[in-house]
Amino acid sequence: MINILLIVFTISLIYLAMANRMLTYIRIIAFQGALLFGVAFIELIEISLPNLVFVLLETIIIKAVAIPLFIKYIIDRNHITREAEPYVSNFFSVVIVTVIILGSFFLANAITGTHVRKIFFIVALSSLFTGLYIIITRRKILTHVMGFLIIENGVFVLSLAVGSEMPMLVNIGILLDIFVSVILLGIFADKIGDVFEEQDVEQLRNLKD
Amino acid sequence: MIGIFLIGSLLISLAYFFSKNHLLNVVLAFAFCLLHGALAIDVYIHRDITQLVYFTPDALAVILVCVNSIICIPVFYHSFVYFSKHPYKPHEMGLFFGAMVLLTASISAAYLSNHMGILWIFVELTTLSASALIYHRRNKLTLEGTWKYIFICSISITLVFIGILFVTLAIQHKGITDLFYTTLSENATLLSPFWLKLSFLFIFTGFTAKAGLVPMYTAGIDAKDKAPYPAGAILASVLMNVGFVGIFRFYEITSHTEIFAWTNNILLISAILSVFVAAVYMLRVKNIKRMMAYSGVEHMGIIMLGIAAGGIGYYAAILHLILHSFAKPALFFQFGQIYRTYGSKSVYDVGHYFKYNITGALVLLFAFFIVTAMPPSGMFVSEFLVFKSLFASGYLWVLILTMILLTVIIWAFGKNVFKMLFIKPVDFDESNVTRIPFSESLSQYILLALVVYLGLNPPEQLVSLIHSAISTLPK
Amino acid sequence: MRMISLLLILITSFFFTGIIIRTKSILSGRKGPGIMQPMKDIIRSLRIGSVYSKTTSFIFQLAPTVYIATILMAILFIPFGNQRGVLSFNGDFVFFAYTLALGKFFMIIASLDTGSSFEGMGASREALYSMLVEPAFFIIMGSFSLLTGFTSFVDIFSAMHFGSYVTYGLGALAAFVFAIIALIENSRMPVDDPKTHLELTMIHEVMILDNSGYDLGLILYGTNLKFAMYGALIANFFHTPGYEWYYSIPIFFGVQLAFAVTVGVVESFSARFRMNHNPQFILMFTSISLLIFLGVLLLTGKII
Repeated sequence: MINILLIVFTISLIYLAMANRMLTYIRIIAFQGALLFGVAFIELIEISLPNLVFVLLETIIIKAVAIPLFIKYIIDRNHITREAEPYVSNFFSVVIVTVIILGSFFLANAITGTHVRKIFFIVALSSLFTGLYIIITRRKILTHVMGFLIIENGVFVLSLAVGSEMPMLVNIGILLDIFVSVILLGIFADKIGDVFEEQDVEQLRNLKD
Repeated sequence: MIGIFLIGSLLISLAYFFSKNHLLNVVLAFAFCLLHGALAIDVYIHRDITQLVYFTPDALAVILVCVNSIICIPVFYHSFVYFSKHPYKPHEMGLFFGAMVLLTASISAAYLSNHMGILWIFVELTTLSASALIYHRRNKLTLEGTWKYIFICSISITLVFIGILFVTLAIQHKGITDLFYTTLSENATLLSPFWLKLSFLFIFTGFTAKAGLVPMYTAGIDAKDKAPYPAGAILASVLMNVGFVGIFRFYEITSHTEIFAWTNNILLISAILSVFVAAVYMLRVKNIKRMMAYSGVEHMGIIMLGIAAGGIGYYAAILHLILHSFAKPALFFQFGQIYRTYGSKSVYDVGHYFKYNITGALVLLFAFFIVTAMPPSGMFVSEFLVFKSLFASGYLWVLILTMILLTVIIWAFGKNVFKMLFIKPVDFDESNVTRIPFSESLSQYILLALVVYLGLNPPEQLVSLIHSAISTLPK
Repeated sequence: MRMISLLLILITSFFFTGIIIRTKSILSGRKGPGIMQPMKDIIRSLRIGSVYSKTTSFIFQLAPTVYIATILMAILFIPFGNQRGVLSFNGDFVFFAYTLALGKFFMIIASLDTGSSFEGMGASREALYSMLVEPAFFIIMGSFSLLTGFTSFVDIFSAMHFGSYVTYGLGALAAFVFAIIALIENSRMPVDDPKTHLELTMIHEVMILDNSGYDLGLILYGTNLKFAMYGALIANFFHTPGYEWYYSIPIFFGVQLAFAVTVGVVESFSARFRMNHNPQFILMFTSISLLIFLGVLLLTGKII
């Protein structure tokens, strides 16, 4: 079951590469949160109850509901246009994300003598690099935050791979997740909306040599 | 004592957030400097004794905590000077000092922690408190700088976290269940080399954002440019040391394994690229603060060259790190005076500085000689030792390349500094130039003198501390 | 017994487009034509003669016949449950794909034969989309033949149903991709809109502008056949191993009905993509089928 959830997670990455509306991005992020809820539930069922409840609440409430709703709120509040405005055409994005997935697959296969299940590693690495790619190639600041959330999801998948042995690391990862989401979204997107008229990275181009 | 220090700094920081009284702010600053000094003395006396499970003051931590407690005194002094010259609202001052206390305390705690997770948490805290400092002036440009700083630091901190996860993969089923640096170091040979390599890549890349090395150096440059100059002094010295500590502690683990040569190559590549980037940007940059920030990139590159070369290079690198932490704040403090005199950050608007502020101009001149490692400077000694170690370990071409790049940097730096000192500025209205008292430059003279003294004639204790900090590394 | 799948596909092809149109009319609140109406239209077309432009050569007259012949040929390979198709040999799925490609090739050169620039444009688009969608088909079939160790349709589909639950997951994913391939190959929404009447935005429809009468009837019926053929292929993912073959017949019709209704629903509720969004949409399914391939590699442990 975990394998299927993780494969669907990877498909959502490919869909992300071809999506061209902010709303689609938000839906994908919410969907990924729900998928991670399922993965965490199956994977971590053996750890102590308070820990499990904490992890599950984080995935379902924060990842799948709160953050997407909040991004939606920011978009409405700051009148952000609905196009994602990539620098690269979506066709190449799909190609590149596919190459990223293939690359992580081959990297995972280069590993010998590991005890981590390969699929976790592949999905985590693909998610990490897809997030970085989204950050590099999209124009809006909010899309950068979304790229960062994708990276966070990848990190969460990776921490689940070691989670049943070291639950403390999962918790630290979740704290990072909450912390950064609150900082980046809560304080910043708000402030940037106040100071700049348009949420465009082009606006953040004044600092240079 | 570390527990008292952490709780005390938290309380002082909280008191600052609610304080609207100037006198109370001064008292709190004194209290914090005393507390930090007490911590430095305490960790020096109780060296290598673990406190609160997660904190072990080893030699490197002791040195850096002492440096931090020396730096924080002039930083607080200049912060008050800064506030006396710039208009502010009372709560802004409280927020600034509170964030400053939090930043300094979490920097020291990061030095002292001997557990990967704890170090990681404190590095995260430095990002948070530093961003409050950078956003102090609350305009478009500072917002941009803060945004970039937070964003890039968040990505790097995530990369470090991934690196830590890889370490846990490397130690799985090896009977190790915790992430203490000492445990990892003792069992280094048991760890799987593949995962260790991967985690070194991620952790190194992550910490370069703090250390100011290629590839993630950009965040730091904007932050140092946009932060008020006393905060810039912290960002450009002791905060960079946090990044160095993060890299160095993991480097110590890998030094006992078969991937040691590989890690050295990674460090070498990053170091040369850092010096190269610094050289390229020094040539074209016209913003004085950014110029100083790029000089920091260059020095971190030299330090990493020393680490990668090994041998005497380890000693030289640590010494260079200490001296750089003293020299760079002096430059930033002096920048505050330049800005007050000319009201501009651009090299084009600044000139004939000797005429308007002779003590400050002398500081700038000396600081230039010291930062570019001209002979009376202590950094000359450490830089020379780095070159010697490079030569000894056979990196001749690296040495030649570095020297050429350093010449370029010295030329570019000197061109700008001498322009600021001696050439008449265009369209400068002399009538209402504020005279800056000598007392404000005193701290900078002391810091620069410290660099000369520590470099040319390092005290016995410092030498032995440095030697014990690098004692675990292979000879 | 080998004729069973051919017969069932032919029966389905009479109703398939009708069900789609009926679904659309119900969803949009119209009374709509009866289920047999598209078939009646086709039969009417088949009864009248064709008109040929003077600039066209024999290729133009030949193409519709070749087109329908290739589709019928391809249908011969479709198995039904454990029952083989009329033709079956190792590697038959490659033959299947290239038979269909041959028909498409003839349609394309026939449309170029007319010398109309609109038709050339449509042919170019159709060729591009077929080219993009072809890897998806081959990667999926290739990964299933890697998974099962067989290379013909019937063996692959029979062997697939005795694996772990992951096999079923991959099978469901593959069924989904096949459904999309069917939509793209038949030039339906969201890639192409059969109802559009602006030459600039048409794909398949613009390619057959010059065909009339009997030829047009063949081409339209070809679409029905293709739908039924892909539906049969999808139904094969759901058949019941271990039971008598006639238990699979209700499943077959159920899947076909569900497929037709899904197409109708999709066409009712979605708009066609902008032309420049199509390539990435189609490419996405190649990427998804690559994921299926990677999943199979992981399952079998056959790693490079």
